[in-house]
Amino acid sequence: MKKILIATSFFLATAVAQAGHHEMDNMHSHEGHLHETMVDGEKIVVDPQRFDIFVTDLDNSQIALVSVQGMVCDFCARGIEKTFGKDKSVSKIDVDLASGKVLLAYPADVEIDLADIKKKILNNGLNATNIQILAN
Amino acid sequence: MKSLILVLILLTTLESQARPISYVGGHTLMLNIGGQPDNIYWHYTPNINYSIGLDYQQDKISNEYFPSARFTYLLNRKNTAASQRNLYIKTGVGLTNADNHFYALTGDWETRRLFAGFSAKQVSGIGYDLFEQSAKIGIAPYLGDYGDLHTWLMVETKKDDLEDKRTTYPVLRLFKSGAMVEVAYHRSTDWTLHLMYRF
Repeated sequence: MKKILIATSFFLATAVAQAGHHEMDNMHSHEGHLHETMVDGEKIVVDPQRFDIFVTDLDNSQIALVSVQGMVCDFCARGIEKTFGKDKSVSKIDVDLASGKVLLAYPADVEIDLADIKKKILNNGLNATNIQILAN
Repeated sequence: MKSLILVLILLTTLESQARPISYVGGHTLMLNIGGQPDNIYWHYTPNINYSIGLDYQQDKISNEYFPSARFTYLLNRKNTAASQRNLYIKTGVGLTNADNHFYALTGDWETRRLFAGFSAKQVSGIGYDLFEQSAKIGIAPYLGDYGDLHTWLMVETKKDDLEDKRTTYPVLRLFKSGAMVEVAYHRSTDWTLHLMYRF
């Protein structure tokens, strides 16, 4: 029992440290970046810093921003990464558990199959509720 | 020996918590040590509604090990932006003696912060029948990103016909990418270890 208490204390301390780290993230400004783009009159909702990092090394690409329901743990995220990792047309993947968003990068000349994205998400036991396509 | 233990840790996880159905095409390997019955269990998910698997487990009465085939079916799932809720029916039958079999109803509800789950299981062995029930609740003291080390502080309670008493004990769950480790302690059973790996 003593060992459990020690382990618990350690992870609570880790939690405080991580919370501080995320507060610093939110202070960063991203005006004028791609993440402020409007798609079909709708502003995309995505973690700005995360999005900017994702597109940093992407040229001549298009990005599918997928809103996912039920994505609550690393098993969900890992499944999505594995599933889309097998799709040769997907060049980069990012799974954000906090916002329930999945970013998928495709070459600009690829026709993105929205139904296939929804099917792949469903094959992970999750639901894709919205998909927005952005050109980079 | 240390390498072997490390490999086992990397190659395994726990049944009662890890979702018993993976993504389509996904494999899961689990190991349960210290809590009777010990077992090693592999399952494969050909369809998002069910998984099939093989189990090599210890009989609760005779302590002898036997292989069994297992099937899990997803009865109901509800996804929201912040949660997932599942209800499963599970069954298994011994490959060497069909007297060893079980069926169970299990459910879980999970957000990134909170977890609750239950299991009701009817187990039959050679010369005995047993009803087991368990419930578990947990809280994540911090929210990590995908790939971070996730930690859950949990409490589990169990009761079965064999001991005819309820045992309640703390559980520490550590979770990272496709690997999960659960350590539980109770004075009557001492330490138990559950390991899982999804690939």
